[in-house]
Amino acid sequence: MKLVLGLAFWAGCAFAQSGIEVPAIGAIVDSTGTLRLVQGVAGNFWLGPAKVWGVLSAACSDRRCLVKTDSKILSPTGETDAPPGPAMFDIDGDEAILFFPQQGIFARWHADTLDTLDWAVNGEILSVRLRGAETEIAVRRDGQVWIVRPDGSVVDSIGESVGPVLLLPEGVLFAAADELVLRRQDAPEVRLPLSRAQSITAMGAHYAAVHAGNHVGNDAIYALRTEPGRESLFLLPGDTP
Amino acid sequence: MALVVPLAASAQIALFTVNNGAEVPIGAVLDLGKVAVGDTASVRIRVRNIGTKTANITYFFADGVGFSVDRPTLPFPIAPGSVQDALLSFTQTTVAPLYPANLRVDSDINSVSAYVIAAVVVGPALTVFPACTGSNGPPPSIDFGPVQAGQVRLCNFSLQNPGAQDMTISTFQIAGAAFHISMGPSAPFTIPGGGAITFVVNFTPGAAASYTGSLAIATRTYSLKGTAFNTPLPTPLLEFDSGSIQSAQQRRLTMRLPSAAASSASGSVALAFLPDTTVATDDPAVVFLATGSRSLPFSVTQGSTLISIGGQTSAMFQTGTTSGRIRFTLSGVVTAGDPTTLLTIPATAMSIDSAIATRRLGDLDIQLTGFDNTYSAGVMTFTFSDISGQTLLPGAIRADFTQDFRTFFTKAQAGSAFQVRVSFPVTGDTSGIGSVDVQLSNSAGIKSQHLIFQ
Repeated sequence: MKLVLGLAFWAGCAFAQSGIEVPAIGAIVDSTGTLRLVQGVAGNFWLGPAKVWGVLSAACSDRRCLVKTDSKILSPTGETDAPPGPAMFDIDGDEAILFFPQQGIFARWHADTLDTLDWAVNGEILSVRLRGAETEIAVRRDGQVWIVRPDGSVVDSIGESVGPVLLLPEGVLFAAADELVLRRQDAPEVRLPLSRAQSITAMGAHYAAVHAGNHVGNDAIYALRTEPGRESLFLLPGDTP
Repeated sequence: MALVVPLAASAQIALFTVNNGAEVPIGAVLDLGKVAVGDTASVRIRVRNIGTKTANITYFFADGVGFSVDRPTLPFPIAPGSVQDALLSFTQTTVAPLYPANLRVDSDINSVSAYVIAAVVVGPALTVFPACTGSNGPPPSIDFGPVQAGQVRLCNFSLQNPGAQDMTISTFQIAGAAFHISMGPSAPFTIPGGGAITFVVNFTPGAAASYTGSLAIATRTYSLKGTAFNTPLPTPLLEFDSGSIQSAQQRRLTMRLPSAAASSASGSVALAFLPDTTVATDDPAVVFLATGSRSLPFSVTQGSTLISIGGQTSAMFQTGTTSGRIRFTLSGVVTAGDPTTLLTIPATAMSIDSAIATRRLGDLDIQLTGFDNTYSAGVMTFTFSDISGQTLLPGAIRADFTQDFRTFFTKAQAGSAFQVRVSFPVTGDTSGIGSVDVQLSNSAGIKSQHLIFQ
């Protein structure tokens, strides 16, 4: 093996000459329907400038964010027409699986094109997960949450979820009574106290955004770090001037 | 004697008095009543153009001793349907039963006039005893001074009749929500010549504010004023959740009083950041999380020691990524002592939030995300090992990125959080390279990180 021959700074995008940039956590949709970048490090967050307005849903991976407006899916590379209303996403590499709750339609996104999928899953769809060629769906039926495949076969169940659910690449994050539960196959279950969770979305590669509140002015957005061994719940700065 | 010109259909201008916004036509005689020696009686006069042409006013005077009219410089026009107000005043220092004047307004269309009369009498003299202050004017006024909200200030007065004859006081009344006469005669009453009566006025403000009122005695009306302030709060205690204060933390501020508040109070709690470094002037991530701002309202209710911050029992804030001090201050309340509280954020070795080492064809990439709260980062060493843990030659590779970091910190002005990627060009097979030990130096120490290549 040859020796290491030398070193060079890698040119980043924000400060191309220095190779140093502001760390990005991901993105959230704030209370005004605006996509805001979340920057910083754990315990020290700030919201970047507004990027997109009129956002109904958004999700981010380590490589890209997809944004749903009323009629479009926006990506860093373009946009495509989409059914009206919000959407659920899961992004895996260059592809994503989407579910449009108002229409009950699943679709596959790739390279700014959207292909409708002929899937029929009974129950309230809570989250979707794309792992390679395999898709899994969290669905609530008769008060019980199941993880199923598009053909209806059951993969797992979540016994105590009473609120939103987010399927993670290697686990599931869900709201139980007054706490969030992070359950993974290869790590101990983590429970973090939080009441009134309204929604959970993928903020970035290692964070989930949890909207919580009672919709009477006490709403807040939390950032839950999902990396094994570093699970923590943080409060994101509000956007009141 | 000039008599008033009636409001004939052909009249162009007409005279009115204005009292509380209401117009009253002036008749043949306008009586200003009794005026105490040295006092000034005033009445607002309105000239209204009731015709269809512009009236040019060429004469507007009250011809008589002691009378004056405050109005625009002559001549001036009044458009059809429009008005012009003026202030008719009278003052004299000599007692007499009748002071007459002819109030006359001439225009290029018509003239109007009225007979104005006033009497000058010996007025009662009011003496104000401490702690209140005041004078018989002009203008007559009484100041009750500053009073703690919820408390009572009693002011004693003596009303003398300086003349030799009995004086009947037919008007003796007070107005103003916080003022009332707690002891004294009811009107009408008589003060014998050379005699006096006493009375007491209470000033009882319910809350911190400025208060005004009036005290009408015979021909004179005294303006009343007083201010109320809240009881100084016992010096609030600003406390934080347990654990040492460090950068990149979300901490909880609670506020309480060492003893119960004597009155309800509200204000604002603000934080400010004072960095140790000169590279950055601030750390914008040091904010209250509820609003993303640096100020929150707080309130405490009477009898309580608990202070509500932004409607909550506590307030979360971020400590940022810069060593220095966070200063908490209160405003909007009076406190017994200075509650300003400083939190020191100590300088620490660099903190790594996440790190990853990856292989590419011809390159080894190391990505580090963290912060340097001293703003002095730059010197790094990288020591590569093979998959068995043996150090690869040439051993530790030193790199100094001090200037790059300084440039970044200066431009970003967003705290010291950073993400840096360092790439190492490699020739040959990289699969045998197993790990790298990274040392990051700043002025507070050295941070070591062992990374396994993925």
